[in-house]
Amino acid sequence: MARTKLSDDRDLTEEQKLFKESINDWAERNFPLERVIRINREGHPFPQDIVEGLAELGLIMVTVPEEQGGMGLTWSDQIVIAEQLGYIDPSIATAAGFMAVETGWGFTINRYANEEIRERYIKPAIQGDKFVGIATTEPKGGSDVAGFESTGEKDGDEWVLNGEKTFISGVEECRRMGGGYWVNVRTGPKIPEAPHKNMTAFFVPIDTDGVQPQEPYDDAGRGSLSTSGFIMEDVRIPDEYMLGEEGKGFYYTMEGVDNARILIGASSVGVTRRILEEAADYIKERETFGRPLAKYEGIQFPFVERYIELEASDLMVKKVAKMQDQRYDEEGWLERTGKAKTYKPTEIAKWISMIKYKVPHLAKDTADDAMHWLGAAGYSSEYIFETAWRGVMSYCVGAEGGANIQKLVIARETLGKDYIPYK
Amino acid sequence: MLFVVLVKQVPDTTEVEVDEETGTIIREGVPSVLNAFDEFALNEAIDLKERMDEDVEIIAVSMGPPQAKDALKKCLAIGADSAILLTDRVFAGADTWATAVTLGRAVKKIGDVDVVFAGQEASDGNTAQVGPEVAAQLGISQLTFVADIEKVDKESGHIICKKETDEGHVRIKAELPAVIACMPEPGFEPKIPNVRDIMKAKKKSLDEWTFEDLGGDEEEYGLDGSESVVIRTYSPPPKGEGIKIEEKPEIAAEKIIEFMEEEGLL
Repeated sequence: MARTKLSDDRDLTEEQKLFKESINDWAERNFPLERVIRINREGHPFPQDIVEGLAELGLIMVTVPEEQGGMGLTWSDQIVIAEQLGYIDPSIATAAGFMAVETGWGFTINRYANEEIRERYIKPAIQGDKFVGIATTEPKGGSDVAGFESTGEKDGDEWVLNGEKTFISGVEECRRMGGGYWVNVRTGPKIPEAPHKNMTAFFVPIDTDGVQPQEPYDDAGRGSLSTSGFIMEDVRIPDEYMLGEEGKGFYYTMEGVDNARILIGASSVGVTRRILEEAADYIKERETFGRPLAKYEGIQFPFVERYIELEASDLMVKKVAKMQDQRYDEEGWLERTGKAKTYKPTEIAKWISMIKYKVPHLAKDTADDAMHWLGAAGYSSEYIFETAWRGVMSYCVGAEGGANIQKLVIARETLGKDYIPYK
Repeated sequence: MLFVVLVKQVPDTTEVEVDEETGTIIREGVPSVLNAFDEFALNEAIDLKERMDEDVEIIAVSMGPPQAKDALKKCLAIGADSAILLTDRVFAGADTWATAVTLGRAVKKIGDVDVVFAGQEASDGNTAQVGPEVAAQLGISQLTFVADIEKVDKESGHIICKKETDEGHVRIKAELPAVIACMPEPGFEPKIPNVRDIMKAKKKSLDEWTFEDLGGDEEEYGLDGSESVVIRTYSPPPKGEGIKIEEKPEIAAEKIIEFMEEEGLL
């Protein structure tokens, strides 16, 4: 029986079709589902050949301008790549997870970094030789981005950073490969009615004196991409390693969060598509009481419902990518006039939150359904479903904002600021 | 030097199913891909280009409907310098001979081609006829089952290849220009184009040539120019279950002889 295919590429550009084909060919040769499952079961360290493969294929930070070492692709191109990486890596812990962290935050760091950071860290990261990431969450919380406690004090032409960051993706990979993190610290007094002010972003190389990486957590899923944290004790960072302007870290962080959330939404479309295809192959083949499972309405109806949600999600992600393309095309206009030409950044943030909420949950719920359809086989790690379920759960509970944070953003933009619950 | 690589877009054979009632291939919804044999030929051409000291231009040529552009785009991404799609209603319904007429005319029109690379066969028809027929059209050397190209020397006017045979390999020398039909060896892994290759391909030329560009009589092309007719396509009936003999070799040999005698095969 021919494998079930649920993708329709006819609306893609010729280049986008080739991106997908290359990713599929690479995965088929080096990175089949059996290996995804095995890597997740075995855990750290992150396989270096996957980093090298991503870099050789040119899939890291594709939206960084060509003159800065990237590919200069649009976000509409980027989501096709992210979706396909989710498709080949439904664990979101290997190719898809690595790309999402590197690209979402690498792109944004690059926008606000000076030439030295670009040369020393961003370009090598694009080549797969270094790791860059984001470290916002602190022991006292993560969802409340402006509620952080780390501090930065000016000392001559340096800043002295102190504090602790936790539940940070890729610390082990960063230690091994070299690289650094986007770190937010408070560089002025905390203003109770506006805690997001005086937040300043720095790029902190992982090997800076005073940066003390912590032991990795033992996560439920995402077995190969490490999660841990680091303490900063009198970490001295030069002025030039400030990202953008002093005191504007909150706004830059929100931009970076948006960029990473799009990748998460797009990857989750790919994860869902793969789960449904793999499940379809099984339910069409496996018989019970003399008929294939797919003939039972108790199975085919929920299958169809998930498929409808998948295609709706795919359309949403494509819409968001177009908004994002306009956002960066019209950036100069926004800066000059102070007004958005097409979409206000907060409107785009609403749509991005919608996909960040919807699609990872869809992927997780679809994996859950598939496990029920397959029964014991679905629960076993012979199939991808439980690995995917444990992986995408991390996108539901956190990773660039938990589910309820997305709802807060959507409520703020639909009901109005007067109804923000925490004010 | 000028190389032309002939390529074909074919249904993805891993996705193809045959309609049991009509015996025809179900093409609806089946994705199209670049014929794997042709992809090998293109990889050989690129590999040779990279090994040579002189300037080499590679042109990928395909005959097919407008959507065959996708296959040529992939050739450009893999490393062809330019591509030409031969597309016209007049070319439709061509058998291998009429296809070779069309491709041969295109090679002539390109002019001064040193080596024409082709896949040994296409995975949809498996005739292995087009490459040799193009050579016949052009009246030039033909080498089939080529697994590797050792050398192309324009000065001496020769090409040296490794050709696969039933017994192994032979090293064979032919005069230029030549058509070589390439046969990948097991384990061959084609180059996977990366994002940069794909974006560079966007800037390369991909022309479309029609009947008007190739000239001649309409009757020479397509269905009218075809010498053969497909009567029926069907899947051969599955073979019956075999007999497995698990014995020492000498006993197994006796049992096989016994079986063959019983069946009247000896």
